[in-house]
Amino acid sequence: MQHMARVSPGDGQTPRPAVEVRGLGHAYDGRDGVVAALADIDLTVPAGQFTVIVGPSGCGKTSLLMMLAGLRTPTSGTIECDGRPIAKPDPERVGVVFQEASLYPWLTAVENVEFPLLLKHTPRDERRARAEQMLKLVGLDGFGGRYPHELSGGMKQRVSIARGLVQDPPVLLMDEPFAALDEQTRMTMGHELLRIWSETSKTVVFITHSLTEAVYLADEVLVMSARPGRILDRVPIDLPRPRTYQMMATDKFGQLRERIWQQIRDMP
Amino acid sequence: MSRSAVILVRIALLLAVLGAWEVLPRAGVVNPMLLPPLSQVLVVLGEILKRGDFQEAMAVTAAEVLVAFVIAVPLGALLGVLSAENEYFGAIFKPMLFYVFSIPKSIFLPMFILVFGIGFGQKVAYATFSTIFIVIMSASAAVESVKAEYLLVAQSYGATRAQILRRIYVPSMMPILLETLRISMIFNFTGVMIAEMYASRTGVGHMISNWGENFMLPQLFAGVIVLAVAAMAFNELVRYWEARCSTWRG
Amino acid sequence: MKRPSPPTVRRLIGLALLIAWEAVPRLGLLPELFLPPLSKTLAVLWLDSYIYAAALMVTLYEVAIAMLIACGVGILVGAVVGGVASIRNLMLPVFSSLYAIPIVILYPIFTAWFGIGSESKIAFAGVYGFFPVMLSTAAGIRTIDEQYLLAARSMGATLPQLIARVIIPASIPTVLTGLRLGGALTIIGVVVSEMLTSASGIGYLVTMNRTILDSPRVFAAIIVVLALSVAFDIAVRALERYTMVWQSAGRRMASSSTDTSARLATSASAA
Repeated sequence: MQHMARVSPGDGQTPRPAVEVRGLGHAYDGRDGVVAALADIDLTVPAGQFTVIVGPSGCGKTSLLMMLAGLRTPTSGTIECDGRPIAKPDPERVGVVFQEASLYPWLTAVENVEFPLLLKHTPRDERRARAEQMLKLVGLDGFGGRYPHELSGGMKQRVSIARGLVQDPPVLLMDEPFAALDEQTRMTMGHELLRIWSETSKTVVFITHSLTEAVYLADEVLVMSARPGRILDRVPIDLPRPRTYQMMATDKFGQLRERIWQQIRDMP
Repeated sequence: MSRSAVILVRIALLLAVLGAWEVLPRAGVVNPMLLPPLSQVLVVLGEILKRGDFQEAMAVTAAEVLVAFVIAVPLGALLGVLSAENEYFGAIFKPMLFYVFSIPKSIFLPMFILVFGIGFGQKVAYATFSTIFIVIMSASAAVESVKAEYLLVAQSYGATRAQILRRIYVPSMMPILLETLRISMIFNFTGVMIAEMYASRTGVGHMISNWGENFMLPQLFAGVIVLAVAAMAFNELVRYWEARCSTWRG
Repeated sequence: MKRPSPPTVRRLIGLALLIAWEAVPRLGLLPELFLPPLSKTLAVLWLDSYIYAAALMVTLYEVAIAMLIACGVGILVGAVVGGVASIRNLMLPVFSSLYAIPIVILYPIFTAWFGIGSESKIAFAGVYGFFPVMLSTAAGIRTIDEQYLLAARSMGATLPQLIARVIIPASIPTVLTGLRLGGALTIIGVVVSEMLTSASGIGYLVTMNRTILDSPRVFAAIIVVLALSVAFDIAVRALERYTMVWQSAGRRMASSSTDTSARLATSASAA
């Protein structure tokens, strides 16, 4: 059982950080002058850790993720991924799974998954094989020929995850990937994500609004403040793995959830 | 680019086009017979605006446009609302309308001439015919744009039929209705112009057509300017209302 | 009693119109000058088929060149206007203002410039068809889902890849709508201009026969024009079905309201 042997943070033997953020700040020109979106973000995500970021709407969670993905340039500070700075998108180091289905409707599921490889001019047979393998991993074996509109919401997000993983990046960033799904599908997808994570041993940075989802998935939950976004608290989630739905009913789960909720509720 | 910069660049572009219109024919880069310099056109424009026959032609054209508009819009709106209200008739006629939409209505001009002659009535009839389809289609689109939820909420609070019409239908259809007015005027104006250019004894369309055939280009350009300005002025007026009515749409 | 299905009713209406076309003049309800019987019209069309075929060839030639111009220039300008924000803010409102002008008033200028041959028809119909193509290309590019672009960038797409792999496929449906309208307007433009001043083409046959009060020949020409626009419509619909296998019913529903207003806006010069 690979996931049982996983080292949780603070266990002494700390793995090499996969993501290292120092003094990160982001400001943009708004209508009433410069708006500080993020300030003084320091962040270390050990390799293989599942980190979840929560915070009130508009706290800059998505901004932070965009910068980790190299899609937005920080105003100050540094971001290192796998020991090297991130200046522009590098799908071989960082895969991204977006909010709503950002799948291309004119491509089939397998073509969507191949897309990043196509951009890198990978030979056709190789990319098809990789994509099929990824679809199998996310539990969509045999659905490759379908167009996105022929898939359910949960299946679409499975395809998105497969696309994020197809270049085997060590880090996977996920921006509220399950926000548009109904509650049951969302729970199932969370569970599935943990399975995929444990099979691939990726470092995951996951953004969500749902505190239950956060506690259920995470090794560590980072709580961000309202604008300008700062990291207020790091909550280690020392629930055993593999996680089960039953854990949600435990006192421990409730206390962790409550601790996070307190801080978000008390925000100005 | 800021708002004022955009306007400045637009003015600069307009001046550049107008300047080229003046300079290129004068410098002989383009044949001044084919493109008379702007100043010459403007002088002629001043003259023809004072001419009795041109004023009369404008009055005739304006009356044709107005009467056709007053017939086509309410009639088309009524038919459109009916076809949106009655699903069955809508299902029958809407595909036909879409087809009628794509055929050149001008090929029926000979029939209008045979039946109505080439006078005022024929212009109004043809312009009504060429406008009414777009009015029907947009009116039924306007009715369909009213969200079912709005009606449901109103009904659940016990709104009467009249209240629903006045408080829900009218405000939510307003933007599309104004858009319909604007577009049907473009159709209507085009219809009158084609009818006048095709066969007529008066009207501005008839005059510019004659000027073109007789190679009187300064007059032709002046006439085109008058018509274009009139069309754009009405269009901008309705667009101004549209903008005021659609602030809530965001 | 069950009501017959709408397509059945449509076919019945079509049939009724054809029968009326034959019966009304035969029964003397309308003079044959106003409406010659269908059989007479078809007989004339058959008798003069070589004249109509020759005229149709001229019209088709003008339509083809005008469509090439309207679509080529329209897509090019639309891509620039839709893709470059500063040009869009600058020019889009200007284009929609210009759109209010009945383009037909420019036709006398074109005949003065290019003569009464095919050139003036091509120029006029090209301008006529240009606007819908340009406006819907601009709209198609402008309304591409931001997520598509973001996702592609996160996967390391270069600008040429972004254009070829995302922007073009994502804007195809809207551009096709524009091509359909633009094509229809090009046909209309050619026919209208042939009717106004010309010495050849189907539109010319309408006008020439009207002048000599030969109603059956006028209506024969009308039939040819109707057939031409039906054929174009069928061809474009087939093309749309072929290119849009991936387009879901849901997407079409979602875009139908914008589609309607785009259609209204862009068809605003149907003559």
